[in-house]
Amino acid sequence: MNMFASCMITALILLTLPIIMTSTKLYKDKLYPYYVKTATSHAFMISMIPAMMFIYSGQEMVISNWHWMTIQTMKLSMSFKLDYFSMIFVPVALFVTWSIMEFSMWYMHSDPYINRFFKYLLMFLITMMILVTANNMFQLFIGWEGVGIMSFLLIGWWYGRTDANTAALQAILYNRIGDVGFIMAMAWFLLHLNAWDLQQIFMSANDNLNLPLFGLLLAATGKSAQFGLHPWLPSAMEGPTPVSALLHSSTMVVAGVFLLIRFHPLMEQNPTIQTLTLCLGAVTTLFTAICALTQNDIKKIVAFSTSSQLGLMIVTIGINQPYLAFLHICTHAFFKAMLFMCSGSIIHSLNDEQDIRKMGGLFKALPFTTTSLIIGSLALTGMPFLTGFYSKDLIIETANTSNTNAWALLITLIATSMTAAYSTRILFFALLGQPRFTPIISINENNPYLINSIKRLLLGSVFAGYVISHSITPTTIPQMTMPHHLKMAALAVTILGFILALELNLTMQGLKFNHSSHYFKFSNLLGYYPTIMHRLAPKTSLFMSQKSASMLLDHIWLESVLPKSIAFFQMKSSTLVSNQKGLIKLYFFSFMITMALSLSILNYHV
Amino acid sequence: MSMVYINIFLAFILSLMGMLIYRSHLMSSLLCLEGMMLSLFVMMSVTILNNHLTLASMMPIVLLVFAACEAALGLSLLVMVSNTYGTDYVQNLNLLQC
Repeated sequence: MNMFASCMITALILLTLPIIMTSTKLYKDKLYPYYVKTATSHAFMISMIPAMMFIYSGQEMVISNWHWMTIQTMKLSMSFKLDYFSMIFVPVALFVTWSIMEFSMWYMHSDPYINRFFKYLLMFLITMMILVTANNMFQLFIGWEGVGIMSFLLIGWWYGRTDANTAALQAILYNRIGDVGFIMAMAWFLLHLNAWDLQQIFMSANDNLNLPLFGLLLAATGKSAQFGLHPWLPSAMEGPTPVSALLHSSTMVVAGVFLLIRFHPLMEQNPTIQTLTLCLGAVTTLFTAICALTQNDIKKIVAFSTSSQLGLMIVTIGINQPYLAFLHICTHAFFKAMLFMCSGSIIHSLNDEQDIRKMGGLFKALPFTTTSLIIGSLALTGMPFLTGFYSKDLIIETANTSNTNAWALLITLIATSMTAAYSTRILFFALLGQPRFTPIISINENNPYLINSIKRLLLGSVFAGYVISHSITPTTIPQMTMPHHLKMAALAVTILGFILALELNLTMQGLKFNHSSHYFKFSNLLGYYPTIMHRLAPKTSLFMSQKSASMLLDHIWLESVLPKSIAFFQMKSSTLVSNQKGLIKLYFFSFMITMALSLSILNYHV
Repeated sequence: MSMVYINIFLAFILSLMGMLIYRSHLMSSLLCLEGMMLSLFVMMSVTILNNHLTLASMMPIVLLVFAACEAALGLSLLVMVSNTYGTDYVQNLNLLQC
């Protein structure tokens, strides 16, 4: 009997302790953020023990705790699946969250509700842990909805701002559309396989699985912001930067990809769904990379970069490489969280300035942030032997050598070069050149919280790729033998993107800004997708419903058809027919004269 | 014919003339209408009582009921006119509209 289960459960319970403490006076304490951060770091260290045990011995475990209920023939219980995916993801997520919590002790330092902020972050982390360690779909759904709700609460943290409320609502609505797919899959599994446990689903599934897999793909589209349900991710940048770093770069948005990875035994057998996934991911990665090229808000550029990398992960699932996609999830968490933290450092130092057209010359003023931003961007674009290389380059090579859709492969390569282009754009506008911000600012990055947290992620960005990819068990990643031009393809397009972007930026530096061309407007307004979807569809349905309910039923059928038409008809006909003039006295007088005359004549006649 | 009948008949003729010839107020025509009704009532009662037409004894009551209805109708028309014009001058009634 070893410590595998005990350590894992201890780590998970350790995370819930600060939440339980909120009813005591610890919650009102000034040191509560420090307690939360320490709890997270200790949970990370404890969870490294089972992770290393797993790497050494390959031992997986399913912990089935508590029998909740049995609904006719289906048994629901609380069970944790501690296999390859969750064992490696939990330490990575805890490490990144530890750094982000330390960062937000600096970033949200002047916020009066900082204790509540940390409580929300911790609750988000707990629900994410529930999601990745779930062994049945019901528990997964609990974690799924939990991360959605915490995302809503955290995006709308500054709820006095209208845009923040709109963005939070947008996140909930788009996620809900994806949840429909999830529930459809759950219902199909319940009806046909009578199971929500992953083991039973994988054993007994042997007929046409198109419908539930399509439902799962829809759920991943909603949660991971694929094309069609993507506008919520750039809008989610209304939340504070730690929220963007944790939720919308490393942890929550990979939940959709994680779901598809969990169901990879089912997806291996179904080429239709694989093609659909591949095309969806390819379109997403190209579209969001195009949109990222002309944005002016630094957080939005990084958000689109996240969306593009998520599309890349979905492409990887589409070429039937779930382990590579998972590797990319883990490595991507490091450098993307660090990119967000560096942009948070820049924003705070420039007194809440987020527009890159108003930054510049920070190369000498913020040396540490500059260093980490450059290393993060290089890791993102897949510079050889940094972290991103171990996953991203492998993905491109695998796609090059597999029997895949050539169009999807081509646009993935184009999106890779665009990654380099917009990374260069960030570096150029934010760091190089002369300062474009107002000089009445004191720029100071000398806070130990900030420096330590970014330093940890920096070490992770440089070394984690090597460490993780050399420690994991052998998986289905194919042997890499290919001709030279295919091997160098990713590197070549990346270098092409760098050089092109640098030359364009340097050339255009002193020129006057022309009126925007059509391509610029397409890219800047996110392909007109939010404009059309958020305005046209609701306006049409509201217009139709108003016309049919109010005009048709009320005005016409209840008012105009009988009552008003009768009144109108009567009035028209009476004015047509009557020709009297109303001379009453004359009529009466003539009546009297006639009567008198007739009576007198009658008198003399008889 | 005896003097009583001639007297009442004259009252009727007088009221009729009053209703047909009036200068400005609509109310005077309505009052004369009431006078006509009154004289008819008296004449009918006297005739029935003098000639012992027992079965026709309810006729005056019926006449009274119908006269009340007609008086109400006339008064409502007067009120409508007075609502629109403020007075009941007859020269206002030239528009064929309330």
